[in-house]
Parts: sequence; structure tokens; C-alpha cells
Amino acid sequence: MTTPLRKSLYVGVAGLSLIGAVAGCAPTAQSPSTQSTPAAENGGQASTSSPSSSAAGGSTSATTSTYKDGTYSADGTYTSPNGQETVGVEITLAGDKVSAVNITTHPSNPNTKKFQGEFASGISAQIVGKDIDELNVSKVAGSSLTSGGFNEAVEQIKSQAK
Amino acid sequence: MPHSGWSSFSFEGIGTQWEISTPDALPAGDQNRLLETVEEYDRTYSRFRADSLVSGLSREPGRVALPEHAASLHSVYAALYRLSQGAVTPLIGSSLERLGYDAGYSLQPSGTAMAPPRWEDALDWSGSSLVAKEPLVLDIGAAGKGQLVDLLGAVLRSAGYSDFLVDGSGDMLHAGGHPITVALEHPYNPRQAIGTIELQNSALCASAANRRNWGDGLHHVLDGTTGQPIQTTVATWTMAGNALVADALATALFMVDPARLEEEFDFAWLRVSSAGAATFSSGFEGRLFS
Repeated sequence: MTTPLRKSLYVGVAGLSLIGAVAGCAPTAQSPSTQSTPAAENGGQASTSSPSSSAAGGSTSATTSTYKDGTYSADGTYTSPNGQETVGVEITLAGDKVSAVNITTHPSNPNTKKFQGEFASGISAQIVGKDIDELNVSKVAGSSLTSGGFNEAVEQIKSQAK
Repeated sequence: MPHSGWSSFSFEGIGTQWEISTPDALPAGDQNRLLETVEEYDRTYSRFRADSLVSGLSREPGRVALPEHAASLHSVYAALYRLSQGAVTPLIGSSLERLGYDAGYSLQPSGTAMAPPRWEDALDWSGSSLVAKEPLVLDIGAAGKGQLVDLLGAVLRSAGYSDFLVDGSGDMLHAGGHPITVALEHPYNPRQAIGTIELQNSALCASAANRRNWGDGLHHVLDGTTGQPIQTTVATWTMAGNALVADALATALFMVDPARLEEEFDFAWLRVSSAGAATFSSGFEGRLFS
């Protein structure tokens, strides 16, 4: 995934701004990226930004990169009508691109859980595939095996079309 | 097989593969009860066989007496028809047939997409009593497989089994003290997964539009207000207390804002857009590969 860094920062700001929206308990906030209220105005607060440069390489000083590669995380706290709440945001940077965004919710209240769920889902991740053979799983949920009759019909049409 | 040492009973039913796993092999009597349940469901609802109860409604309108469990199917469909403003409908059958997804699998469109009749105009359904006011093609494909998963789970429970996994080709119900890890199949590559999920005492259902497709943008997940295939979402997964609800919501996620569905249903969801972007609720948090 190669989201430009600018967008990543925007995501970060949007995340914090949604904290404001959550603090304001606005149930219609479905599109966090359209909110731009600074978190501080709503009593939101970001804390413990900790670059743990664990990403590959790490030789960034010689390049024109503005940001050091690594995984950065921060917890944001805010006071909601349900009390003090925390969300975690983790961003992985590589060559000024965001390669991963992870949102961790720590809801302590059912309402918060709902709003934070919307928040976490508002930031989407690009899907990444791994070979099923390499996974320790016993079942697969998808739809490749969905319909025998359908698959047969498609095979027949394919063979007719040859 | 979900756990080593478990036994699996596999069979084909309602046009797909089934696997029922239990710690010990199922005796013939229990196997037969499961197969009878599948056959009864198929004989009632299949629009792919001429002798089914609902097939009769496409030839002649009238009243049919459905099994008692039709009441829960009705309530899920009624809620989703309302929440989706008609996009999720049990009358989608005529639109599917129009595009070629018919009983003979002709896979040849007979015209441009066409919306099905409106529920309120064509159908009077209350519990297990269903009245077709005009000839219509009932299609419960959005939720039927899920309900059958639940019914098979009920057969197992009534026979005294507390540990089992019912798997109807990806729509599954788990019960007991041994959770399983399930891979979420990559919508564009069946050899890959995009994440894994832990399943215990819950149902997991999947829906994907791009696998069963038969030509230029033609697939089986249609918008009931237009009769056209939906192109924005490619795959969905849901977890809920039962497979009927999970299955129906997996389809509904193609047409309805998840927040709307969350107002009335307690479930977890994951949705992948045709551009490959995933959005999800907290139940799927941290489960996708990155």
C-alpha cells in the first residue's frame, strides 16, 4: 500500500478530530475525514507518541525523506459523556509513505464501543493477501465453493466457447 | 476438519457442499435427520427445482403454508427490506432470472436489468403463511443458507451434541468449547486470505459478488430497487449469534450503510470494496493482514 504521507497525516488529524466528534457524542459522524475540528478544542489530547523504528532499513538520513521510517503509535484520550476513553493509533512509515494504519479501540462503555467502532471502521485499510497454505487455519470463509450447479454451468459454457 | 481427531460428515445440499464436524462420528440416524432437514428446506424454498413449494408461486399466485421456521426468515427479510428501502428483497428472483441466473443456469440475459415487483404490491407474508398476489419468483438466497445452517445446528443440539461446527461452504455455525480459526478468503485470489478470525459459539457468514459471475458485470448480488448487480462492494463477512442473521446481513452490507444495520442488529462486519479497501467494525479489528 502506498498512501501518500500527506494523506496519512490527514488521517491522523482526522482521527483526532473524530475524537472530538465522539466527545461531542455526534451519532451522525460517519465520515471522519470530513471533520477537521482540532481535537484540543473538544478537550481531546494526544499523548505518548513513541517512534519505535522497527520497520525495514532505517537508513533514512541520506535520502530526501522528511520522516524517519518506523512504526509510530500514539494514544489519544478524551473525556466522553461516558467518562475517560482512549483510542490508539499506529502508523507505519516507509519512505514518506504510510504502509499501515492501525486503530485500536479501548472502549469501556457500550456507547463508546459503538462510536469508536464507527471511528475505527471509518479509516479503511487496503487488503493484503497471504497464502492460505501458510496459515494455521482449519476453515476458509469465502465464496469460491458456493454453488456446484453454478460452477458446472460456467464450465460448460467455457467448454462450449472453445 | 476443524480439530484433529474430529469426524466430518460431508454431503451436498441446496446446490453446495456441506461439512458437519463433531468430536465423534455421527451415527446413521443423526446423519439421516440432518439430510432430511436439508431436503425439506430445499423442497420448500428452492427456485431451482420445479417441484418446490415456492416454484408453484411462479406459475400461479395463491397461498402457501411454509414451515414454522419461516417466521424468523420473514422477520429478518422484513427488517432488511425496510432498512434498505427495498434493496434487500425476497422478490429478487425475477431480476436474477432476467439476467440469466435461472433454474436452468442459462446464464444468458434475456434483457436489460429489471427491478422486481414491490413487496407491498405482490406479497402478503405473515409468519408461516405466504400469499402471492401475482405470479412471482421468491428467492431467499440472501438468508436461506444461513437459516439452514442454524436448523442443522438445532438438529445436532436436540440430538445431544454440544460441540460441533456446521459449515455450508463458508457460512458456518460453531458451538462448544473449542474455538476454531477461520481464514477470510481473498476476494480476488482463492488461494489467499486477507486475515483470520476466531470463531466460538457464534456464526460467521461470507458473501462475495465476483466469484459467481457470468459475464460483463453480471453476478448474483442485485440491488432490489433497480435489479442491477452491485459493483461497489466485492465481498463481505459478518459474525452474529445465528447464521440466519449473519447471512442476511452479509448480503445487506452490499446495499446498506453498516451504521443503519447496527441500529437494529447486534453483529460484527467486514466489507471490502471493489478497489480492495476494507472497512470493518470492532469485531474484526486487528484480524486483517497488513
